[in-house]
This record gives sequence, C-alpha cells and structure tokens, in this order.
Amino acid sequence: MAVAARPPRRLINRIAGRHPVGVAFAAPYMIFLVVIYAYPIILAIYMSFHDYFFAAPGAQVDRPFIGLDNYSTALGDPAFRRALLNVVVFLVINVPLTVGLALVLASALNTALPFRTFFRSSYYLPYVTASVALIGVWLWLFNSDGLVNAIIGEAGPDPTWLVNRFWAMPIIAFFATWKQLGFYVLVYLAALQNVPQELYDAAAVDGAGKLRSFQHVTVPGVRSATTLVIILATIVGANFFTEPYLLTGGGGPNGASISPVLLMYQEGIEQNKPGYAAAIGVILAIGVVVVSLVNRFLLERD
Amino acid sequence: MRGTKFVRTRAIVAIVTAFLFVAAACGGDEESVSEAQRSTGPIKIWYSNNPEEIEWGKQVVNAWNKEHPDEEVPGQEIPAGETSEEVIAAAITAGNTPCLVFNTAPAAVPQFDRAGGLVNLAEFEDGVSYIEERSGDRAAQYGYPEGEYNQMPWKANPVMIFYNKDLFKKAGLDPENPPLATYDEFLAASQALVDKGGVQAAIWPAPSSEFFQSWFDFYPMFIAQTGSGQLVEDGQAQFNNEDGVAVAEFWRQMYEEGLAQQETYNGDAFADQKSAMATVGPWAIAVYGEDIDWGVSPVPTQDGIAPEETYTFSDEKSIGMYTSCENQGTAWEFLKYATSEENDGLFLEISGQMPMRTDIIGTYSEYFEKNPEYEVFAEQAERTVEVPMVSGSIEMWQEFRNAYSASVIFREEDIQPAFDSAAETINGLVEEGS
Amino acid sequence: MAETIQADDVVDPLGAEEAEPRADQPELRAPGERWKRVGFLTCLTAGALIFLFPFYYMIVGALQTEPNPDVSGAFPDPSNLTLDNFVDINTALNLPRALLNSGIFTAGVILGTLVIGLLAGYALAQLEFRGRGFVFSAMLIVLIVPFQLLMIPLYVMIVRWYGLADTHLGMILPFAVNATAVFVFRQFFMQIPKDVFDAARIDGASELQILMRVAIPISKPALLTAVLVTFIGPWNEFLWPFLITKETDMQPLAVALANYISNVAARAANPFGAILAGATVLAIPAVVLFLAFQRKFVQAHLGSSVK
Repeated sequence: MAVAARPPRRLINRIAGRHPVGVAFAAPYMIFLVVIYAYPIILAIYMSFHDYFFAAPGAQVDRPFIGLDNYSTALGDPAFRRALLNVVVFLVINVPLTVGLALVLASALNTALPFRTFFRSSYYLPYVTASVALIGVWLWLFNSDGLVNAIIGEAGPDPTWLVNRFWAMPIIAFFATWKQLGFYVLVYLAALQNVPQELYDAAAVDGAGKLRSFQHVTVPGVRSATTLVIILATIVGANFFTEPYLLTGGGGPNGASISPVLLMYQEGIEQNKPGYAAAIGVILAIGVVVVSLVNRFLLERD
Repeated sequence: MRGTKFVRTRAIVAIVTAFLFVAAACGGDEESVSEAQRSTGPIKIWYSNNPEEIEWGKQVVNAWNKEHPDEEVPGQEIPAGETSEEVIAAAITAGNTPCLVFNTAPAAVPQFDRAGGLVNLAEFEDGVSYIEERSGDRAAQYGYPEGEYNQMPWKANPVMIFYNKDLFKKAGLDPENPPLATYDEFLAASQALVDKGGVQAAIWPAPSSEFFQSWFDFYPMFIAQTGSGQLVEDGQAQFNNEDGVAVAEFWRQMYEEGLAQQETYNGDAFADQKSAMATVGPWAIAVYGEDIDWGVSPVPTQDGIAPEETYTFSDEKSIGMYTSCENQGTAWEFLKYATSEENDGLFLEISGQMPMRTDIIGTYSEYFEKNPEYEVFAEQAERTVEVPMVSGSIEMWQEFRNAYSASVIFREEDIQPAFDSAAETINGLVEEGS
Repeated sequence: MAETIQADDVVDPLGAEEAEPRADQPELRAPGERWKRVGFLTCLTAGALIFLFPFYYMIVGALQTEPNPDVSGAFPDPSNLTLDNFVDINTALNLPRALLNSGIFTAGVILGTLVIGLLAGYALAQLEFRGRGFVFSAMLIVLIVPFQLLMIPLYVMIVRWYGLADTHLGMILPFAVNATAVFVFRQFFMQIPKDVFDAARIDGASELQILMRVAIPISKPALLTAVLVTFIGPWNEFLWPFLITKETDMQPLAVALANYISNVAARAANPFGAILAGATVLAIPAVVLFLAFQRKFVQAHLGSSVK
C-alpha cells in the first residue's frame, strides 16, 4: 500500500488542519446549529441557575439568581430519583436487546430470502406508525382482560402489567425496543452493504459456519455502526417521553414509570418552572454523556 | 487558539441574548395599557374544538361581524385538553396570544397571570359590575388575585353521577330512585352492580396521574362532603381533614373491593357498558343520550344530604383576555356580547352546557320546558365550587394527585400520612406565591 | 491526470439487480443444513408476525363499526366491518391540502438533511480540520437535549425574532438538519477505508471532486437510510407544526388528524376506530416510501478498488 503523500504544510494547514476544506463542509451545519439551537440551549442552562418562569414580553418579572438550588432540589426529589432508576432499567433492557436483535435481523434480512420485502417491511412497520395508535394496541394487549393475560392465564402478575410497580417499566422498555427496532435494522442494513462479500467467501473457504462468520466477519465489520446504535439507543432511551405519557397516562401507578423528560414536561411546561426542568435536563445530559463515554471506552478496548 | 471564529460567534449570540433579556425586562408603560383598553378594531379569538362550541362560536362571530364590519373577529379552534395550556403558555411567551380564548381553565389562570399574560377585566369601567351581575355569588370564586378579575367565568358542567338504568335493573336496584346518597349505600349498590349487573367496574374514573384527574373523582365528593369547601382555603390545605380523609377512604374501599379499576380503560367505559356509572356534566346527555337509558343523581356524601343542598365541582371554563391584545376595547365589547343573555341562551341550546349566569332556569324557561332533562344540571349549577385560585395551582394539583394515587388507588401508603405530607408541601407552595 | 476512481468500480449499479443468492447454496444440500434453514425461516416468520400483529390490529380496529376490546376483536366479525371511519376522515379534513403541507414540511427537512448533513458527516469522518471535535460535540449535544426543554424558547425565537409564524420555513427550521442523520453519515463514512480517498488524492483530485465523484456515489445506502430515518420525524410530528401554524390550511396531516381525533373522540360511534383510521392514513405513505426504497439495499463489492 502506498503511503499517502503529505501536502506541503502551508499557513492554511497550520490554522485549519490537514484538510481545511472540512471547515467549509461543516460550516453550513454549524451555522444551522448556532442560528437555531444556540439561544434555546444557552437559555436553558441560564434558567437552571435562576428561579425562572416564562412571561409575556413586556412583563415586569423577578427572576432571582439561585445558584445550585434547582440542582439540589432535583437530586433530592423522589420523583426524579425514581425517574433515573427507570431510565437505568429501560436502558439495561433496551440497549443490549436492540443491538443484538437489530444486527441479527439485519444480517438475516440481507440474505436471499423468499418474500424478503415482506420480512423487511414487517420489522420496519412499527417504526413508521404513530405512537398513538400502537399504544392503543399495546394497552389492549396488556389489559387485565387482554390477549396476553388470556394466553398466560393465572401466571399473569397482579396487579396487571401496566399498573404493576415492577412490570410497568419493563413493558415500556419492550414496547420502545419493538417500536424502534426498524430504525436500527436499517442502520445495520446500510452498514452491512459495506462489508465485502470477499470476507465471507474467505471465511467459508476456511470452513467457518454461519455462526462463526457472523462472529468474525459481520460483527467487526459493522463496528462503527454498532457504536452509533449504542450511543443513539442510549440517548433516545434516556429521553423517552411518549411512552410514559401515553401508555401509562402521566407516570404510571404512583409514578412507577415516570421518566425524566416526562417530569421535565410536567414541571417545565405544565407548571411553568422551566428553571427546575432545565436543571433536571442538565443532570440527565451529564448522565448520558458519562454513560456514552463509558460505552465508547469499553468498545474501543477490544 | 481553538475555534476563535466560534468564540466570536458565541460572544455575539451572548450579547444579543443579553440585550433581549434587558429589553424584555423593561416593561411597557402605564400609558399604553389604558390606550389598548380604549382601542377598537379587529380582534382574534380562539375557541375549543368540540363541535358544539365551534358551532356556537361561528354563529356568534358571524352575527357580530355583520353588525361591526370594522371590528371583524376571525375565530379559530384549538384543541381542548391539556394541550391547549401548552399552546397558550407558548403563545404568551411569544406575545402572540389572541385577544380572547374561550377555553381558559381556571387552574391555569394564576400561572398565566404571573406570566403577565392576562388582562385584569376589573380595569374596565363596567368590568366588575358586569361580571358580578351576570354570575352572582359565584363570581367571587374567580377573582384572583384579590380584587382582580383575570378571567370571566363562562360556562360550567356541574359534576353529577350518571347511571345506566338498565344495568341498575339487572342488578336489582331501583332505577328511578337509586340508593346512592350515602357512602354505605353507594358501596352496596356498586357491589350489586359488579356481582349481578355484569360490569367490570361500578364506576370507572380515570386512575391515571395527570394533575386534573382529581377533579372527577375526589374533588366533587370532597366539595359535597364539606358543603362547598375548596381543596385549599386561606392558604391552608383542607383535604387532610376529617372530611377529606372520609372521602379518600370511601374511594379506597371502592378500589380495594374491585368496584373501580386501577387501569385506564381504553375508550369510554360507560358508553361500552363496562361500568354502570360515571361522573359527568350536562355534556353527557348529548353524548350518551341516544344509546343508554340514563338517570342522574347527585354525588354521594358520607351520611347523605338532600340533593337541593349538595354542592359539587363546577368543571368550569372561563374566557381570558390576553395582554397581547391591541384592541382591548373591542375585545371587551365582544366579550359582553358573547355572554349576553341571548348568546348565553344560544350556547345552552346548542351544547347543553350551563352558562355561568344566575337563575338560568328562570331566564331560559322555554328551553327547559322543551328539554327537561337538563333541568337537573341547571339546578345543580347554582351550587358549584371552583378550584382554589392560588399561585402554583397546577403544581398543587399534581402533588395532591400523586399522594391520592399512592394512598387511594394503589394503596401503597396510608391515607392520613400521605395527605398530611402533601398538605405540608402544598402549604409551602401556596405561601411562596402569595 | 491519472484515471479518477469511477463509481462503477466501487458498487454495483443500484436498483438494477437483486442480490444474487449467497455462496451458501452448496451447503443446503446437506440435510442438517436444510433443517437449520427451515428453523431459521420459522423464527423469522414468527418474529415478523409478532411485529406485524399490532399493525394488523390497528387496521382491523380502524375498520370496525363498534369497538371490540375483547380478545375476539382480533378476528373481527365481517358484519362489523366498515369503511365509515375512513370516510369520516375524508369529509372532516381537507386531506389533499394537509398532505401537501406534510409533503412540503418533510421534503424541506429531507433536503436540508441530505445536503448539509452529508457534507458535515463526511467532513467529520474523513477530513481532518480544526474544530472537528467541536462540531461532533455540538451534534451530540443537540441529540441529547430533549425537545420539551427547548420548545418554548425555540418558539419565541422563531416567531418573534425571525417572524416565521404560519410559514413552512418556520415549521421546517428546527428540524432542517436531522442530527441523527448526520451521525449516520459520519459512522457510514468512517467505515470506508481512508485509502479509498487517499488514492484519489494521490491522483491529484481536489477535495471537492473527491466528494462528488467518490464519496457521494458510494454513500447511497447511507442516503437511503437517512431519507427513511429523516422522513418519519416531520411526517409524524404534531406539537411543533401545531404551535407554529394557526391557520388550518397550513397544517400538516399529523396536526389535522390530531384535531380530528380530539374533535371526534367523544362523538363517534367508534372513537377508538377513528383514531386508528387516522393513524393508518398517516402510516401509509411512510410504508409506501419504505417499500419503494428498501430494494436498493444491495450487497456492494467494495473490496476490488482498494488493492
């Protein structure tokens, strides 16, 4: 393999890096981010340190600086603590299941199958359907008279699934996993297009069966897609809102399935305490970043 | 050296942001406020999007527009329900609320007022007199803060108990004089309904935790039991007193015996005949009238009170006038027009909901002759109680609902300690705001 | 100038062929392998049915006159079937107008994402430039912060500062470049060996040429994924367009349906059916789009050009 020839170190390279055109390519996106998101995000952080509420333009309002009060209240709030626990339960169920199932399914759907279109569509369908409708269906399924209880009879928990302190969160996690799987299958499907057929052929020649070629060709071959899937699943999982909002009507049995973002919605929008909501948001974001960094560290160690 | 360009952009953004905060902080001056009040011209209004209110809204708007061509009112619908609070809150912050919103929930008024979004109707010359003349004694419940009227009480749906006569017959209960006056009677009837009436629940209020759900299970009965007491009075929580605990224990027993369900029903349990009773307002007559042979009864109390003395929750919606309105003069005239005797009557006819007007039965006797089934509700409408108008009211309701859910619906805690703890938090909340 | 890399060297012409049967054909003759294949297909089918079932139930529910919340509702009585719920929707909403608005909103978002997102994703993956880490972090921040927190300030900004209330641009702007898609592009380009691009550089191609002649052609799977992924957001989005547009003829389908649902909910004979009918109508274009695009996911033969 030839070594890439180094371009001369000109002034532009010293300022903007080896490929200064990258700045130009990334610029439209950065402009977009600044124009649209800079103000709301900076405001959110600002709000978290103040006793803040939204007011009409021209209204005289007092918004005193209160330092870390919002943060300490949040950390001491039992609802927030429960919400954080719920996020952990959710992620523990959702992320590994998503990564595993999505990759396996994508590999399966990438082969020559009879009725391939049918199979691909069926896994993708929940992803495109509006939550409102799907949740209606799941409510029906997991009702005390629903299909699931009809099938498993006495073995069902009491109180029944969605109003059960212990089961509400896992059901939500399964729902979310099921619903979003289509997206991750798609990501892996795209990534699999770039795994050269030659590698599979070589593995077959070496006598590897399906399982071994999966382990040694597929999995490493989609490494960067796996990182994407894990990080996205973590972020999306930490931010889940629609499911507790719709599936368990405002946080479930005694807040058993409340999520941090649902709490932010209640506090920030319903009760007009956006400073407090912002503090919750910041704590959540820090948590997500930490988890992602840990993930990345673990992944890169292999 | 990293990203100097971006540092500069950030600085610009920060400066602009700071400038805007300063600009926002400097309020308008007194002069322009009363100017707006005198000013006339076209105004915008929003009404909720249920079909009857739209129908009424369109008629009123058309009639007005014919008579006032230079003060045109284009009306618009927004969905009712919790979403409308979000929309109004966002609009207040952006400064583009319409002049009038015909679906302002009283519980949200303290918040909107704190945000500087509402116009104090008492500032109009005939403001206080008009409101108090139209709504009588009940008007006082809507004055907040003290002496101001930041909302005009518009229409109420006094909460009563609807029951399914066929199911009552099936359960061996008298469908014309149902035994629902005391808690004991109600519980016994419920048991019979579940055992013999073939229903899943005697009554199925939503067990979910949204802040407003208590308005349809606990609160109407609390009001009846205390004889017109509010959740919070004079800055003190009242629900953890004897009466409140009695109501809570009644509901707790309903849940414990399986007479009410802990799960939300996916649809309308009363319409689907999965439950035999429901807490409703007069709107229910139009909704269930054709399909179910219904009867109506006042909410129960511990030892029973005469129906003529029973109070209940109003489930009221007000009209708010918002500060972004430029032509408040017209808005006020339109407000009076829309709540005139004629238009209140039109609303009653079209929707069956009760305008917040004194002596509805007398004023609209013709209507009630033709539609006697609404008379019960009109009668009850004279004795309604509103949510407490206190700062932080939504937060208060959420706190209460959480405690209620834990101790009554899911029975994971005991009632008195849960209520006491919520009361303490709420007392702190209410005090902070005043 | 030396021969530039041709796109043809890198991928098969897309859409023209289905993937050829894999090299595992010979294995099928062994009896154990046949059972494995049967087992594999059975599992896949079972999984597909489980995934499909709620969707099937949704359609069934949408077609019923009376709701049937019992278990038997899954296998409806033919006499209970009707198209009324769908007919109601057509009369209650201005369906073509709502579809047009949804289309404009979604197309705007897809355009912004594909153009700006691809550029950014490619730069993040394959170009070394100052500020690269910063851009990546900014993208992650936007992904992490939930919309509920930003909603009101965003609204104030777009309506008051930029004056874009009741415009399609106002609807599109917050979603104009989907951060997830940028991330997808980045990861996709990271998977492509650097050598592919360096080879072009050695041949004297400018960065722009490399982008146009090498990066974009091989990014078809990522582009397709980005379209399918980005499409869903604005298509199903209710809250933001609802805030931004107050004129009913500006509202996209998701908003119109939500209005219809809360309008109809208390009145219809089968309110649940109405909701499901609405959701079905909303889902159909997405499904059609997917069916059309998914054929393009074909195995690529990437190896040859690197050697």
